[in-house]
Amino acid sequence: MHLPLAFNAELFIQLLVNGITLGSLYALIALGYSMVYGILKLLNFAHGDVYMIGAFTGYGVLTLLGGPLSPSIAIAPLIVLMFLAAMVAAGLLGVVIERFAYRPLRESPRIAPLISALGVSFFLQNSALLLFGAQFRSYDSFVLGSKNPEFFEPGPLTDALFVVKNVNVQLIQVIVLSTTVALMVALTALIAKTAIGKAMRATSYDREAAAMMGIDTDRVIATTFFIGSVLAGAAGVMFGLLFSQVFHFMGFLAGLKGFTAAVVGGIGSIPGAMLGGLLVGLAESMAGGYLGGRWSDLTVFGILILVLLVRPSGLLGTRAIHKV
Amino acid sequence: MATGEDKPRVGVDDWVASVQDRREQRSGLAGLARRVDDVVPAWARLALFAVVAASLPLWMDRGDLFAYGIFTLVYVLLGLGLNVVVGYAGLLDLGYVALFGFGAYSYALLSSEHYGIHWPSAVSIPLVVVATALLGLLLGLPSRRLLGDYLAIVTLFFGQAFVVFVNAANPTVRGKGLTGGPNGIADIDPNDLFGYELTTRRQQYWFILAIVLLVLVGLHFLSESRTGRAWRALREDPLAAEAMSMPVNRLKLKAFALGAGIAGLTGCVFAAVLTAVTSGNFALPILITIYAIVVLGGIGSLTGVVVGAIVINVSFQFLAPENPQNNARILFYLVIVLLLMLSMRPLWRLAVVLAGTVAFGLAAHVLAEAISPSWTAGAVVEGGRFAGLISDWVIIPSGHDRFANGAYIALIVAILAVTRIRGVWRTLSLVPTVYLAAVVWETSFVEQPAVARWILFGALLVFLMTVRPQGLLGTPRVEIV
Amino acid sequence: MTEQAFFELRDVSKSFGGLSVVDRLTLHVDEGEIVSLIGPNGAGKTTVFNLVTGIYRPASGEIRFRGRNVAGLPPHKITQLGIARTFQTLRLFLNMSVKENVMAAAYGHTRSTMVEAVFRLPRARREEREIAELAEEKLAFFGPRLAGYRHDQQAYNLSYANRRRLEIARAMATNPSLLLLDEPAAGMNPAETHELTELIGRLRTDGGYTVLVIEHDMHVVEGISDRVIALDHGVKIAEGSFDEVATDDRVVEAYLGRQGPG
Repeated sequence: MHLPLAFNAELFIQLLVNGITLGSLYALIALGYSMVYGILKLLNFAHGDVYMIGAFTGYGVLTLLGGPLSPSIAIAPLIVLMFLAAMVAAGLLGVVIERFAYRPLRESPRIAPLISALGVSFFLQNSALLLFGAQFRSYDSFVLGSKNPEFFEPGPLTDALFVVKNVNVQLIQVIVLSTTVALMVALTALIAKTAIGKAMRATSYDREAAAMMGIDTDRVIATTFFIGSVLAGAAGVMFGLLFSQVFHFMGFLAGLKGFTAAVVGGIGSIPGAMLGGLLVGLAESMAGGYLGGRWSDLTVFGILILVLLVRPSGLLGTRAIHKV
Repeated sequence: MATGEDKPRVGVDDWVASVQDRREQRSGLAGLARRVDDVVPAWARLALFAVVAASLPLWMDRGDLFAYGIFTLVYVLLGLGLNVVVGYAGLLDLGYVALFGFGAYSYALLSSEHYGIHWPSAVSIPLVVVATALLGLLLGLPSRRLLGDYLAIVTLFFGQAFVVFVNAANPTVRGKGLTGGPNGIADIDPNDLFGYELTTRRQQYWFILAIVLLVLVGLHFLSESRTGRAWRALREDPLAAEAMSMPVNRLKLKAFALGAGIAGLTGCVFAAVLTAVTSGNFALPILITIYAIVVLGGIGSLTGVVVGAIVINVSFQFLAPENPQNNARILFYLVIVLLLMLSMRPLWRLAVVLAGTVAFGLAAHVLAEAISPSWTAGAVVEGGRFAGLISDWVIIPSGHDRFANGAYIALIVAILAVTRIRGVWRTLSLVPTVYLAAVVWETSFVEQPAVARWILFGALLVFLMTVRPQGLLGTPRVEIV
Repeated sequence: MTEQAFFELRDVSKSFGGLSVVDRLTLHVDEGEIVSLIGPNGAGKTTVFNLVTGIYRPASGEIRFRGRNVAGLPPHKITQLGIARTFQTLRLFLNMSVKENVMAAAYGHTRSTMVEAVFRLPRARREEREIAELAEEKLAFFGPRLAGYRHDQQAYNLSYANRRRLEIARAMATNPSLLLLDEPAAGMNPAETHELTELIGRLRTDGGYTVLVIEHDMHVVEGISDRVIALDHGVKIAEGSFDEVATDDRVVEAYLGRQGPG
């Protein structure tokens, strides 16, 4: 087969590795969309901005504990702390958003919560702009934990963990991937095994019937927002660690791509979100590598539109039957 | 502000149970506006608007006519187009602003120095309108299969793709970038009436006003026609509409195309008035603004769009960075008092809150100064006549970097808390909240009016949806699921 | 096949996910007839309506209306050919006025375009007048129930019984020749039910419609039907006059369950 570019296996594998890492991040964001949509049939446009706030929280913890150049505690607990803080903050934010912007609108025409969600998204973005300014903040994960940061000696996160030929895999990529897998497993177990998980499934099938069966649906919905937002918060810190830059507008595009992942995989389906995330991540990485960065976003959007037109319920979704 | 919690829920027909809400809908200032809207016939409203709007250039200077007059009219047009798609047909189109951009860029390509093509408006405008309508039709194609929310996301992607295309992709055509990348396209010709170029602000304003009036009349007739009724029917229940002989998919496409055509038309006049276009003119914030206009006025109401556009654009221009901040400040405080007036009855409570806020502020100011003079040493930004008053009342520190951010977060928490508290405690908790709002204005918003403007917009959308989802002039809608 | 029935189903089947809901169903309705479709809940009656009106597409079989196979056509086309229905679950355009509900249904047999409407050209104005007259005429069919000030009320203001009436009026405005009524008496009190029985009779005599009706209330079925068709599990189990069907063993069994031996 003749390719316009000479096929380069190393480049391909490198893009694959990057794509999988990026994809797991999108998968985490996708889950939040998917869960909320499954339970409320609401497109939570503000979800990407919750992720952004998570990233800023991680940055805040990093700064409070001495900053990337001279952290006051060891790097492993530092990163754990960043994750925990971001997840809690994002989770609480999600609950607050649900309580104040969506819950009063449960019985309103369907367009009302969507517009409210747009408003929340816009509010959060610009609040971040007001509070943190327009400049990019950097996690500086490149030198985080490095022995000689002033000489730009790579820290343990980005120093290549192993290099095969020219493909290099960084510790941070391994951390991102394993954290994602762990969170997914935990979530699957939570939904399949626990009482609140069963309540969530019941509520998403039929909210009214669930309420009549004695399920406190308000609490279930709040919990869903909390869990979804926690995952987004984790994704925010991952983004900061991977790309070292955090800014007020980052949630918009990431949110769009997370949503794409959710839809491509089949909204409401957890394995679907994972699959969709990987596909979107790979598509973005490959398009960026082979077509140039300016085409990567358009490729992702193109995939979404194609999937929606060919299979509106997504790859792993099921088509719902409505009784007339 | 009735939340649904203490109403009877079981055993009572929803409609009967919500009678109190409906009574409230008709009381107060917003209710009054609605009743006036109901009583005054459509032609009288139109005539009033036409006369007042046409007289604007007679007493406004050029700059104001541009900022307040022309921009408001552009927003009216944009709102009217979106209203067809969202208000009449109930289709959530988040790619609308890209159609506006497509119109503007197309006009720019056909009538500017960019490629040296200078087609007269009589040719380029109809061409662009038709092309945009066709693009709208294409954008609407997924609506045949996708339900509301999916449609929203696909159209949002389309909007985003447009910005990326114009800004970054910028393919090379005939030796230069088609869309000019981040620089956009400059030196766009003014609109012309069969050769007579409209170069002064007055001429442009009257030209756009004429278009607005024509579109208003046309849409009014259309909404009272079989097509308008069919749109509303499909918004209510697409399946029933289909079963009642309405070709739902074709009707959706018609709505998309008409809305797009109006957006394209607006793009033409907008590009000509601005004489330059860049992608930033067609990004998400503008989309939010148009939605705010349609939603504020009341989805589906033509008068509502006009009112919404006036309210939004005037406050928008007040908050513009170029505008003296004192005007924005007056508006800000006025709106707070107005909001309190709307939500507080009996009125003596309002008096208590206002007096309390003043007293609270003076006390807080004295206290802060006693702790350290630096807490009150900050300067009032563009205080004008009020500088002295403000600096004696509002805590504006000098040097304490985190204070402004802390006050902002505290304000958000306070507002959220107020919505949860009832009775006397709400009245009491309003006092520090209002004062905090003043502090945030003087320490943060006044420094970054552009950001403040968008924050207030976002908050407005949420507030409006939770309090009055039908907008100022819309009818409350009932959905029985 | 030379003789053409006015309306007939031939071997129509439909299943959802392996569950057969309508199974090789054959039935016919002659012009001017009033036929009732009965059967226990879940027998597939509403599915038959959904198949006929194009909301579902039959897996196999033909649905012939005036000699033309309408199976697979989109719902609005089928309605334009002259089959209109009401919904058991009441699907009115709630936020439109009573009169507008009826006027909207005239879409299929009016022709003026958007351009004509925007410029108020003669045809658009004439059609508007005609649609308004049509709506008033159809609403007048229900006497004082939907008259006068009720025209301008929003549909959500109506009582349950009036919503059922408005459903019928709206269906009539599509100028059908075959009316499908899905449980028109559900939720009505005895007096209203009686009135409805009379009304369905007038739909034929005054309105000239052929009527296929799904109904659970056996008084209504007895009062109106020329012929009764009983369904169970998607299969026709009996057909004939009300008395024949009502005493049929299989019908009794379908409603009451199998009797013990002896």
